[in-house]
Amino acid sequence: MFGLGAIGFSAPWVLMGLVALPAIWWLVRLVPPAPRQTRFPALQLLLDIAQRQETPERTPWWLILLRLVLAALIIVGLAGPVLDPVRGGDGSGPLLIVVDDGWAAATHWNKRIEALEARIAAAETADRPIRLLLTAPDGDDLPVAPPLLDRAELRGAVASLQPKPWAVDRRAAIADLDQLSPDAVSETLWLADGLEDGAAADFARRLRQFGPVTRLDMAPGNAPFALGAPAPADQGIEIEVARPIGDGPRRLTLLARDENGRVLGRRTVEVGAEEPGRSTEIELPTALRNKVTRVNIAEEETAAAVRLLDGRWRRRAVGIAFEGGDEAVRPLISEAFYLERALAPFADVRRAPLADLLRAPPSVILLPDVGQVPAALRPGLEDFIDKGGILLRFAGPRFAVSADDLLPVKIRLGDRALGGALSWTEPAAIAPFPPDSPFAGLVPGPDVRVRRQVLAEPAFDLDEKTWARLTDGTPLITGARRGSGLIVLVHTSANNDWSDLALSGLFVDMLRRIVDLSDGEAAAAEDERGLPPFANLDGFGHLGGVRPGAGPITAGALAETTPGPRAPPGYYGDSSARRALNLSPSLDGLAPLPEMPGVAVELPERAPARPLGPWLLVAALVLVAVDLLIALRLSGRLVPTALGAFLLAVGVLPPPEARAIDAADAAATIHLAYVVTGDNTTDMMSEAGLRGLSAAITQRTAVEPGSPVGLDLETDELAFYPLIYWPMAEGYEPGPVAMERIDSYLKSGGVVLFDTRDVTRGAGAVPGLGGTAGEALLRRTLAQLDVPALVPLPPDHVLTKSFYLLQSFPGRYEGGPLWVEADASPENDGVSGYVIGGNDWAAAWAVDQRGHPLAALEPGGPRQREMALRFGVNLVLYALTGNYKADQVHVPALLERLGQ
Amino acid sequence: MPESPRQSMSPGQGVSALQAEALGAGLPPLLVEAERVAATVEQGVHGRRRVGAGDSFWQFRPYRAGDEIRDIDWRQSARSARVFVREREWEAAQTVFLWVDRSASMDYAGDRRLPTKGARAALLGLALASLLVRAGERVGLIDRDPIGHSGRAYLLTLAEILSRPSPPNASLPPAAELPRDCRAVIVGDLLRPEAELIRLVEGFAARGVRGHLVQVLDPAEVDFPFTGRNRFVGLEGEGNLLIGRAESLAEAYRERLAAHRDGVERLARRTGWTVIQHRTDHSPSPALLALFLALADLGQRSLGRR
Repeated sequence: MFGLGAIGFSAPWVLMGLVALPAIWWLVRLVPPAPRQTRFPALQLLLDIAQRQETPERTPWWLILLRLVLAALIIVGLAGPVLDPVRGGDGSGPLLIVVDDGWAAATHWNKRIEALEARIAAAETADRPIRLLLTAPDGDDLPVAPPLLDRAELRGAVASLQPKPWAVDRRAAIADLDQLSPDAVSETLWLADGLEDGAAADFARRLRQFGPVTRLDMAPGNAPFALGAPAPADQGIEIEVARPIGDGPRRLTLLARDENGRVLGRRTVEVGAEEPGRSTEIELPTALRNKVTRVNIAEEETAAAVRLLDGRWRRRAVGIAFEGGDEAVRPLISEAFYLERALAPFADVRRAPLADLLRAPPSVILLPDVGQVPAALRPGLEDFIDKGGILLRFAGPRFAVSADDLLPVKIRLGDRALGGALSWTEPAAIAPFPPDSPFAGLVPGPDVRVRRQVLAEPAFDLDEKTWARLTDGTPLITGARRGSGLIVLVHTSANNDWSDLALSGLFVDMLRRIVDLSDGEAAAAEDERGLPPFANLDGFGHLGGVRPGAGPITAGALAETTPGPRAPPGYYGDSSARRALNLSPSLDGLAPLPEMPGVAVELPERAPARPLGPWLLVAALVLVAVDLLIALRLSGRLVPTALGAFLLAVGVLPPPEARAIDAADAAATIHLAYVVTGDNTTDMMSEAGLRGLSAAITQRTAVEPGSPVGLDLETDELAFYPLIYWPMAEGYEPGPVAMERIDSYLKSGGVVLFDTRDVTRGAGAVPGLGGTAGEALLRRTLAQLDVPALVPLPPDHVLTKSFYLLQSFPGRYEGGPLWVEADASPENDGVSGYVIGGNDWAAAWAVDQRGHPLAALEPGGPRQREMALRFGVNLVLYALTGNYKADQVHVPALLERLGQ
Repeated sequence: MPESPRQSMSPGQGVSALQAEALGAGLPPLLVEAERVAATVEQGVHGRRRVGAGDSFWQFRPYRAGDEIRDIDWRQSARSARVFVREREWEAAQTVFLWVDRSASMDYAGDRRLPTKGARAALLGLALASLLVRAGERVGLIDRDPIGHSGRAYLLTLAEILSRPSPPNASLPPAAELPRDCRAVIVGDLLRPEAELIRLVEGFAARGVRGHLVQVLDPAEVDFPFTGRNRFVGLEGEGNLLIGRAESLAEAYRERLAAHRDGVERLARRTGWTVIQHRTDHSPSPALLALFLALADLGQRSLGRR
């Protein structure tokens, strides 16, 4: 392709036409514009006036220039100019393409692949053989020479490229390169991920041995972020974001989610231009904090921008050793009952015989009123404590008779009763807690009385082991370290036989303090137990199924495991006890690629080759129009006012955009509304669909909606519309302002029908799990909203009976599930603001101006269209009348009809 | 009479008698002032101070044999023994001969909102005819009617004739034979060489015909508002003229037009005719009024000049 600088021409011989320009100049100059023809009856009088000879008029110079430019534009436009053609065909010989497909490449992955494809296309045009080398390990340790790929293979390989959720291993890549003969590659194109792995410089040196190396790198401002380990803080979670290099200011949104993907907390972090990272705190109440299972950066789609949390971090598991006993006889005053009620707010309580507890040890084991630990279990229990577990024991009648020595202090046999008929003493209150006690800060109420207790043998270290005392100075709670664990003894019973303590709120607070001392659920887990992979992150940080190649990891080794092909990040274990393996802890040394001498660096964000010809021809057309106007003006057929009016009309003519109607109109009648996505086909279909639905509603119900309204979420007032239809369209992602508006619209009682429109292209529309493009888009959209819990539409939902009795909701497609809010808030009349599905309803409703359907249905048939319309009618009436049909008054009538 | 552009003639269409009558509705019937009525035998309203057919009483005279019995005035006869016959004054009608220029140069309007000159001229002519007919005078067209016609029916004929195009290049009437002492009214743009006009008017005046010239001009012809490069094309095949900057010629043109008008004025003064100027962007009523006053000799001769 012949070219000048960044512009190439596909038909350069047409440029020869430029030679004709002087001839055009000469011709245009000779032929002046035609004069104005004027009829004039009094010509005789004019002829009488002494005539001077008119000089032949010349064309004005600016008109000549205009026409020359016009001709030049047409000639150049026809020569097929192309802006910035990718010139990959400069070199010759085999080209080696190196792709860093580690986690960091997941940022702007599509851009990277586009850039790569453009260059591959250029190399193919130049007929160069291509080798492809991926630097992220794939689990196959043998060094393999990058194979020579033919076009079809290459296309397949590039299409199936996905970032891996682990880091690249350039040292292994060097080993791969060593398998190549020196003349197997003449030039290298390196699509780098921008991260140093310790061998980047060596790798570059090795590449340079083959020939010139070009590295494609992202522009500054795109460095990938990784999440640090979250730590519990006073008001929530403290977490750190980090990037290899401070290459510009960034604004990140941290989202803390629970098991179901629901957002529990969010936090926006501004990272300064020079800062490589920043620590921040996601504010969460403690109850919510315990539910967090995942923290991610909304803006980043990499495996390192997701932090999975497991039980070690979450609420503690507490086991109550319980062998049976008198529970069955008096369930409401047993110790276990009191303890369970007190622990439930902040811990997962398991009640099981001690032997079972030791098999899968919780963080804390409670022994209420157990005097002697069975000898067979004693070694296990001691082991549990040594490894960091907490043993919490309570006194009681059995304990008082025969206590063993697995205690913080030596206990005097027998108990001491305070008060009572035979005693002068009063039941004792609890003394204020000393400042070094774990209970410091709690205030014992004066009404908590201890009537009986066991007493500790005096010892010189008794004082420091005492965490709480009665007002008379006797120890109430004592604790001592053993190994890395703790043994704590409460000198009174866990029920209200011996004291009021178990009845007071103080009891809950004290138990929480003790439980908080523990290390976490798996602290005492068996190290050697193999944990099978349970769910893995993919390269974009989405939690999905188990990755092929993932193997089990022993619990003990998990902390030291570096994620890789055999151990991809994700959850290991089973659903009841899972452990998280995160990519980010292995990323302590995030560092940018070093300077590499002799490696040319290019940005992949180059615009694709763009043909300029059409634009030049359009410009020529505009000039033709201008020339025409000038000619008309010169010959007097166009008066200036008309010209001005025309130009004004062209300039001021508003673009034909779907616009919301003004407020008065919108409020006067009901209008169905749809979100204008900017995608013409989608918008047209939405408009036609809502028009068809409006017609059906007018015909069948007392509701008579006006014409549908297209809404721009950024600017239009949403409050007038009871129902907004939002089709997911690729490329339409409204900004934060719009999302805030739609959020408040939903919270104030609006209904939005989210339609992914692609139910047949993938699995069902399941929010939170993998799926089609529409679902990915939906997920991204919903991530910015405060979405409540969603459930598949229950069969008795109001939506199934608000007008018609329905059990299926087909649109263009059949069978996709419909999701609604699980517990719609009562202030919105129990109406679920979110109605989510993927059946492409607008297409099923859509009719043309004469009322003929526009789209074919799958599987099809008038019944499906009718059912789709019925769903639409139900939805509109649901939005308008709320839970009216849920009213119990109608149940008998409905039952009767159902019976028939 | 007020007139909006909408009511005025649309260009290129014929005039209708009704329109013309409406235009003249505000004026009384036009009795032409005639010192000497044209020597025609037509009955009219102009008394000849001798016995003849008429409506006005002239004299009683004694009955002679041969008089019609119905002419006897019985009331006068009863006063005496003799029988008297009632004689009436001979009353004759004045004849006005019209010329309305219908040549190609009259089919012109400088602005689409204005009527063509031809339409305006025909409207004036018809309105005049209507006024005359209402007064019982006779109206004819020069070169077409040897004698005048009376009665409203003629108006329809006249309107039909005026809405047809004339033979080409008939801007001015031919020097036709007109009865002595009749009146002539020539309506047109009069944009012919002065010599031609002088020959015509003096020819009529020599036969004792008094007359009135009505010059109907388009505002574009009066003001010459053209600018820029123009090719002026004549409407009657005079050829064309290319002018680079029309505005440079405007002053000279206006002077030439004024000179032409002066020439016509001078001619009229010399022959005792009157000239009435009219522009198509003005209401036709003042022109009609001026014509009315001139024909009835009620006003000063200068009244119609503008």
